[in-house]
Amino acid sequence: MPVISLAGVGRRYGRHDALAGVTADIGTPSITGLLGRNGAGKSTLLRILAGQEFATSGRVSVFGASPAENDAVLRRMILIREDQTYPDLRVHHMVRAASLSCPNWDAALAGTLLDAYELPSARPVKKLSRGMRTALGIVIGLAARAEVTLFDEPYAGLDAGAREMFYDQLLADYTAHPRCIVLSTHLIDEAAELLDHILVIDHGRVVLDAPADDLRGAGAVVTGPAGRVDRFIADRPTLSRRTLGGHATAVMAGRLDDRDRELADHLQLRLDRVTLQQLAVYAAGSRDRLDLTERETTR
Amino acid sequence: MKSTPFVMIARYLLLDRITYLVLPWAWAAFGFVLDVVILKLTPAGHTSHRWVGGLAGVFIVVFVLGIQSVARALPFGLALGVSRRTYFLGATSLAAALAAGYGLVLALGQAVERATGGWGMNMGYFRVPYILDGSWYLSWLTASVTFLLMFAYGMWYGLIYRRLGMTGTLIFGAAQLSVLALAAVVATWVHGWAGLGHFFATISAAGVTAVLAVAAAALLAGGFATIRRLAV
Repeated sequence: MPVISLAGVGRRYGRHDALAGVTADIGTPSITGLLGRNGAGKSTLLRILAGQEFATSGRVSVFGASPAENDAVLRRMILIREDQTYPDLRVHHMVRAASLSCPNWDAALAGTLLDAYELPSARPVKKLSRGMRTALGIVIGLAARAEVTLFDEPYAGLDAGAREMFYDQLLADYTAHPRCIVLSTHLIDEAAELLDHILVIDHGRVVLDAPADDLRGAGAVVTGPAGRVDRFIADRPTLSRRTLGGHATAVMAGRLDDRDRELADHLQLRLDRVTLQQLAVYAAGSRDRLDLTERETTR
Repeated sequence: MKSTPFVMIARYLLLDRITYLVLPWAWAAFGFVLDVVILKLTPAGHTSHRWVGGLAGVFIVVFVLGIQSVARALPFGLALGVSRRTYFLGATSLAAALAAGYGLVLALGQAVERATGGWGMNMGYFRVPYILDGSWYLSWLTASVTFLLMFAYGMWYGLIYRRLGMTGTLIFGAAQLSVLALAAVVATWVHGWAGLGHFFATISAAGVTAVLAVAAAALLAGGFATIRRLAV
């Protein structure tokens, strides 16, 4: 049974639909990547899941019940936001606050992480740099070990080294304590290895919802002289085609077999795998729900 | 060690001990010193009591505590996984406990004030004529209810600000002034001023306390209605 279940969830602000009928299920244990462009509705969706915002339509269910004003559900969740407002206190106060409220709080892990990110625990949160505030969120989010852990852009302002550290820590802790983790991000390829499941939203709609394994290699990028590229992609589903001079780059859906590879070789075309990042961008651009896996099986 | 949700919220807010426990009484001490200086500088006259207003500052600080408890601390509280209802009731429980404690401090101050002949200068710092000048338990009750009222009022303002921003807060304030103005118009209209004057002239301290308690309950109800649909 999915731990998170969304059915036609909408959120309207005046005349603007931040979410327009989001339907998706997220199981546990899993690490789901919630992807989409700025303003796609990622944060709104996570805030609704965490009971911080209310849906205007549809049904939201976490642990089989609506999270809105439901202490029994909310106690088992945590949402770490990039734009979190903290009280005017010090780092160690925030850690203490989290330890008071989170039933699975791991104080030892919190200590280790505070050291790893070199967070000065006596410093007022207001005086932290952007990266340090982000790190504080990560420390709390991981040490809380909530059954449903939601991270909204958890590494804004972090340098590459610190991000790498976050991926390692997340994976290590997830392996030891499997749970449902949802990560919204636009640094997709960086996090790609972590993710079990991909959910792409655009303009408040789900445009891609698939297991990450199905998406790896579920498409190819063909590059070469325009005429030959066109010959190669002739009767295949194409996600995009771009020409620059006499040179073309096309992105195709579906897996390639050996004959395809021979043909490409013969035509002297370059074949590359489509990365998750590219798929997400195409999915977001397509406006309709992209179903790469189904297309592949019916072919 | 996990505590019940209300206690958890109270402990969360009390992480800021300086604000909730020290600030009001630091302010009281400051106001006290200021009032002593003023009384030393001004001629004593012939009254047996010299009332000063420094204590009002403490009530204003408690109003600010109410704002603080929701304006800055609420979003992180919700992020940690409590409902708005739990947060509000937890903050209100803390407010009630603080109010009772503060009321006791005030009653104690009165006792010392009486015993020392108004700090040796007939000063009425912890006493307010008619309202806070009776038995210690009545003073305690009246002060506690007033502290709770101020906290609840601050919370409601803080919540309105979180939900509707500066414009909304100004409209909220203006609406209250309008209600007062309207009440004044109605009082004039029905020639009720004399009756109103009579009411305030004859009401006992216990009566005032009851009126304040009703007002505090109304403010809490307003705050609760505001937080229920608040998005953070």
